[in-house]
Amino acid sequence: MNNRFIKLNLTVLVIVALCEMIGTKSFSVGIGTIVLLPMLFAVVIGILITPDVLGKKLSALKKVISREEVEMAGPFVMLALLPLGVKYGTLVGPDIVKVIQAGPAFLLQELGNLGTILIALPIALLLGMKREAIGATVSICREPTLGVIGERYGIASPEGTGILGTYLVGTIFGTIFYGLLGSLSISTGLHPYALAMACGMGSGSMMTAASTSLAVAAPPEMKDTVLAYAATSNMLTGVTGLYSVVLFGLPLVNFFYKKLEPILGKRGNKDAA
Amino acid sequence: MQLKAEKLLEQLKILIIVGILILIGQRIGYGISIIEAIPGIILVIAVAMFSLIIKELTPNLKFPAFAWASLTALVLSMPFMPTADWFLGYTNNVNFLGTTTPILAFAGISVGNRIEQFKKLSWKVLIVAVMVFIGTFFGSAIIAQIILKLQGII
Repeated sequence: MNNRFIKLNLTVLVIVALCEMIGTKSFSVGIGTIVLLPMLFAVVIGILITPDVLGKKLSALKKVISREEVEMAGPFVMLALLPLGVKYGTLVGPDIVKVIQAGPAFLLQELGNLGTILIALPIALLLGMKREAIGATVSICREPTLGVIGERYGIASPEGTGILGTYLVGTIFGTIFYGLLGSLSISTGLHPYALAMACGMGSGSMMTAASTSLAVAAPPEMKDTVLAYAATSNMLTGVTGLYSVVLFGLPLVNFFYKKLEPILGKRGNKDAA
Repeated sequence: MQLKAEKLLEQLKILIIVGILILIGQRIGYGISIIEAIPGIILVIAVAMFSLIIKELTPNLKFPAFAWASLTALVLSMPFMPTADWFLGYTNNVNFLGTTTPILAFAGISVGNRIEQFKKLSWKVLIVAVMVFIGTFFGSAIIAQIILKLQGII
């Protein structure tokens, strides 16, 4: 075992111990309840201690977590997710009959992922984006979509620039954003089970952040079903996500782009001028 | 094949470390005895390794190891499976929330090399991305709400 390996793991051990000591904090704000889980503290501390953030100011910190340790942490995430994957399986298994009964809802809500186009595309155009808007709004832009857009348009194209933007924001702020949205979303009046299905977006860590904070904020008797629904929906997105982008997402985003760009695009330009 | 075995061994090593992190974390956060949780965490790591091997064997399916792990545990814990009782019994000592903290600690550190790229993005990208996050979440939630209502589940 080399030095980097030990430094990275000891650092994570300190973060985990610290965050578990803090524990889960929930407090109500005007519009609902915000649940802050240990994992949310963990991701924030993790980002803060990297060389380009606090490491810039504290050279001692940079010695512990340098670029090399950051590089090493990437593959660890995929492996660290697996025990959680197992736990999700144990939540779905005992409830499998209930989950299958909700099958139609699971399948159809997958199409809800196209909501990105309906809401985000007009706004991107109003902000003056051109073809970048296609990549940025075609889906939630996780790895499979990155592959599709890269193949179709090239990652250096305007569409590629767009998707990289949404991808980056998701990578850095996705779990934090969904960790907050998960608990707050209950105040929309939508049923926790429907919200649970929405948590499965094809990213293990975002689904976890959204569904666990939702589960903590939901009535206690719904907790296990919320987690089971979210995990099932996420598995399903793992299967359908790519096809949904190729078959529906891309044609739809291009169609709306052609229709909306002449109207909204001009206004965006005028505002900018 | 030689190389693959080496890769799997490396992954096992990391999984064992993650297991230790979970044991310590859930001892602090949820007061679960480390000794009592050891059989559970060994089972969890075994299923995780199984899912990594399946993923290696089925490269054309493009089904992530995370989903294989869920699916395997799902099958082992279905009510009519003879494995359900002992599998759930042991893994019950591995706390759900306890498994999430190490992931996000690693994830937080791993985005460190993206910060400079991120700083170059314009504020417009940030707004559009947030709209994308909201769009996919509530798009799915609204459809699910309608169908679950029609089915009489909620």
